[in-house]
Amino acid sequence: MVEEQELVTALQNEEAKEAAFRELVSQYKERLYWQIRNMVLNHDDTDDVLQNTFIKIFKNIDSFKGESKLHTWMYRIAANESITFLNKKAKRNNISIENLKDSAVRKLETDVYFEGDELQLQFQKAIATLPPRQQLIFNMKYFQDHTFEELSKILDTSVGGLKSSYHIAVKKITEFIKTQDETL
Amino acid sequence: MKKDKNISGFKTPENYFENFEKQLFSKIEEVNLPKSAGFKVPTGYFESLEEKVLLNAIPSEKSRKVISLFSNRKLGYVAAIAACLVLCFMLFKPNHSISEDFNSLQMATIENYINDGNLNLDIYDVTTIFNDEDISAVNFENLKFSDGALKNYLMENIDEETLLNEEQ
Repeated sequence: MVEEQELVTALQNEEAKEAAFRELVSQYKERLYWQIRNMVLNHDDTDDVLQNTFIKIFKNIDSFKGESKLHTWMYRIAANESITFLNKKAKRNNISIENLKDSAVRKLETDVYFEGDELQLQFQKAIATLPPRQQLIFNMKYFQDHTFEELSKILDTSVGGLKSSYHIAVKKITEFIKTQDETL
Repeated sequence: MKKDKNISGFKTPENYFENFEKQLFSKIEEVNLPKSAGFKVPTGYFESLEEKVLLNAIPSEKSRKVISLFSNRKLGYVAAIAACLVLCFMLFKPNHSISEDFNSLQMATIENYINDGNLNLDIYDVTTIFNDEDISAVNFENLKFSDGALKNYLMENIDEETLLNEEQ
């Protein structure tokens, strides 16, 4: 695997840019895909957001000053792109972000690219009740195993703030699942 | 309960034992949640992704260079002068209703235009186009943000929980 600093140097060099970008996509495509997928839920939307994320990285790599790590910067772009995408989609369909998420989760029941069981579906419904930023924090910590320190750099928030957001999210999710179980 | 005989010198954070059960049970609840989200991807999706991304990224970069307004500084100056002339003409025309119309049109139309997602610029594009000097030259005091509009924006866009957590 090519070292990150080498990759940045190559990406900022016109002649080496294309090959370096190909390497970058190959190294990060899956990690960024799953980060986005956990936010937007369906595969086709994830594919759109993932491509836009890489295009944005490609277009802006010359202005990347190296003040943060390249992967931190990329995760941040993917996070922003996901939330922007959801906001735009809600606006386009003239519905609130809550309604958009609710309908996206309901569609999972018939989604051929969702193979979760009943509990996993309830889990997704519970995650969808969180505000977008709390949802992002929960997904990135729970499914992607980022440390709070890494998340603090990616999302530009204090470790303490992230920890309490995460614990509030876990509490809301477990309470939602319990309530659903009781009503069944 | 018998007290420990020797004192080690260690101490715990304030309220550690009071909050221990709460934290432990929250951890146990978390452990019971599903380990994976249950999503899958179409067969061969990741294998063909590089080609797809490159196909979209590179032509968009090259074509941007050909038609980019910002690549030609002179064109920018000419456009700025032309815009000033048009603006002056509209402002100093005896019929003031035109300038009033222009002002009302400016706020409503521009806002809708941006809200509809037609202005495809985000923070990364903006930082690429503007340098630090350009941004510091913007006089925010003269911009027309009413207190009400600002309050509405904050009410709609701020995640209160994160803010409260940050304030702790």
